[in-house]
Amino acid sequence: MEKLKKTHVPYILIIPLLLAFIVLIGFPLLNVLKTSFYKGTFLNPSAQSFVGTANYEWLFNFKIYNPDVSYFVSAFSRSLLWVAMSVIIKVVVGILAAVLLDSKYLIGKKIYRALVVIPWAIPWAIAAMMWAWTLNSQFGIVNSILLKSGLVDSPVSFFSSTSGAFMTTFVIDAWAGMPFMVIMFISGLQNIPETYYEAARLDGAGAWKQFFKITLPIMKPVTLTVSLLSMVWTFNSFDVIWVLTQGGPVRATETLPIAIYNTSFRMLRMGGIGKASAMTIVQVLVVTFISVFYIRTLREDEA
Amino acid sequence: MKKFVVLMLVAFLFVGLAFSEETLRVLLPIGGGYTIEDQEAIGNEYEEANPGVNVEMEFVGWSNLWNKIITSIGSGSAPDVMYIGSRWIPALADLGAIIPLDEYISQEKRDMYYDSVWDTVSYSGKTYGVVRAMSTKAFIYNKEMFAENNLDIHKNWTELKTAAKVIDNSGSDVYGIGLAGQRFVSTVTQFQQYLYANGGNIVNKEGEAIINNENGVQALDFYVELSEYSQPGISEWKREDLIKLFESGKIGMFIDHIHNAKAAEEKGIDVGIFPIPTGPMGDKPYSTVIVTDCISISSQSKNKELAKDFMNFMTSFEKQKKWDLTLGFVPPMVEEKELPEFQTEFWKPYVEAIQYGVPEAVNIKDWEGVQQAVIDALQKVILGQSTPQEAMDTAAYLINLLQGN
Repeated sequence: MEKLKKTHVPYILIIPLLLAFIVLIGFPLLNVLKTSFYKGTFLNPSAQSFVGTANYEWLFNFKIYNPDVSYFVSAFSRSLLWVAMSVIIKVVVGILAAVLLDSKYLIGKKIYRALVVIPWAIPWAIAAMMWAWTLNSQFGIVNSILLKSGLVDSPVSFFSSTSGAFMTTFVIDAWAGMPFMVIMFISGLQNIPETYYEAARLDGAGAWKQFFKITLPIMKPVTLTVSLLSMVWTFNSFDVIWVLTQGGPVRATETLPIAIYNTSFRMLRMGGIGKASAMTIVQVLVVTFISVFYIRTLREDEA
Repeated sequence: MKKFVVLMLVAFLFVGLAFSEETLRVLLPIGGGYTIEDQEAIGNEYEEANPGVNVEMEFVGWSNLWNKIITSIGSGSAPDVMYIGSRWIPALADLGAIIPLDEYISQEKRDMYYDSVWDTVSYSGKTYGVVRAMSTKAFIYNKEMFAENNLDIHKNWTELKTAAKVIDNSGSDVYGIGLAGQRFVSTVTQFQQYLYANGGNIVNKEGEAIINNENGVQALDFYVELSEYSQPGISEWKREDLIKLFESGKIGMFIDHIHNAKAAEEKGIDVGIFPIPTGPMGDKPYSTVIVTDCISISSQSKNKELAKDFMNFMTSFEKQKKWDLTLGFVPPMVEEKELPEFQTEFWKPYVEAIQYGVPEAVNIKDWEGVQQAVIDALQKVILGQSTPQEAMDTAAYLINLLQGN
């Protein structure tokens, strides 16, 4: 009886989590899946008609500005690039910042670590508005510095060109997500025994060699875990782009979450909510697939 | 004793019922001059005048108001009274989210407003709102800059462009005109000023896109020509931010509300105002887009009578007058226009513009989607990705899809 109880404990303990998952994620997701097979609108929830796979076909048939690529595929591929760039910046800068902040030669470490957390303490929408004015071509401090230092002859409009807006938004998103990466990397670095570095130094290894041969290999599991989490969060990033560009200019920063929003709230008569649900299902599948791939890589690495 | 207790209980029950509150849920915007305090004061006044009624006000920023309205309708929890942009009426009315108010509006109430004001809240022959705020637009200009460059106010587009060019060439840090190009509702309105001035429109009476006709293409072409003399990178500017450029003496003129003309004057700028001149294909001497916000009643409301009463209370002559003078809106009521407060040099061009005005979104069934299509067209031409004709043709195709044509 006692043995039976012990084997049951984990299952009993997991019940609240399972219930929360079913209620908060499973049920809404099933609802989204169901909606993806209907034509309907937010404004008249009772008037829905079953359309089979039409919404999924629409994802690949509906073209606005590019005759070769559909609206959905265009937003999806833009999203992939945007997420990849943001996550790469977060990981690369995050690990370098963590190494710097963990260095025994750095004076005032605690102050710097506290400063690194600041972006996390600011609501994303407020941070984005702050950046919009910081980078403003007429009143922004960045342009003021660029002009006074002679680096540019005329003000730079960061958000007015398609490529400029695309790059600026993912850099700001990376800035906002940096504290999490730095904190996780620092905790990872603190688990590396100092003796490894001492041995390496005795063998004549320089700082870069120590970084590439000791730090990075040991940090691989942490790096994979945080980049997976960051990838999932960044894929759903909405606030930064919405506040800064609302997906413009033209559709240059219309990533998948923005496109889903525009489809559901701005294509009312086209049955936007069903189409947006289909887009959401595809996004969930893709993010899940990438996550499973990541987790498998992580497990193989641990094995 | 038992009888006494029972009697007391019954008495308490009746007293309790007599004082039980009827709740009226009202959704209101904040931002753009709308404050919580001003609007709560109206709710409090209504509660004082109607004991037993509890006015529950919910405030949402303008940029989130549309999402709030449609998600609350979608979840079956729409407020009784909703303060909406009149441009949203066709979408909300078509799908049965708001109710026609014709039976709630007395002839006396109807006669208080200009006919053109009722046009902005009408759809398919029915009235879906009572106007609460109305705006027309005019050019706000820097008198000092105009005098320094020997410029007079302009009566047509050629003179307008010439003035923008002259001011633009007058200093390295000065731009001729302030223009908006960001993805935001007011960017569409800024462009519509030129579109309407040139006799164009986004859709015709049948709701079919006509933005790609000669009037529309010429208006877009002119907007892009003006951008050569505007602040750089107009795609990052919305109308609401242009006042900062004007107040700091960086632009010679821009189109805006009267309240920003007053704000600039308070900052020490010598401000002048002139009406928006007609375009080469326009048939009126001047033009303006008439934008209204209105009070509507949700079809999900279980307190429609109370909602109607609150709507009439909120839009009484005295309340409207106070509202317009406090927030700087153009008077939508005929009698209000005659008040001495609206006869000043600043107010006159805005009030007189009403006669030339065209409503912002008549026959547009899905404003939010159409808005995106128009801004895309504007930005594509500004960025050199399309010619005005190509951009407008694409916009027309998309607008027809969104209109369900």
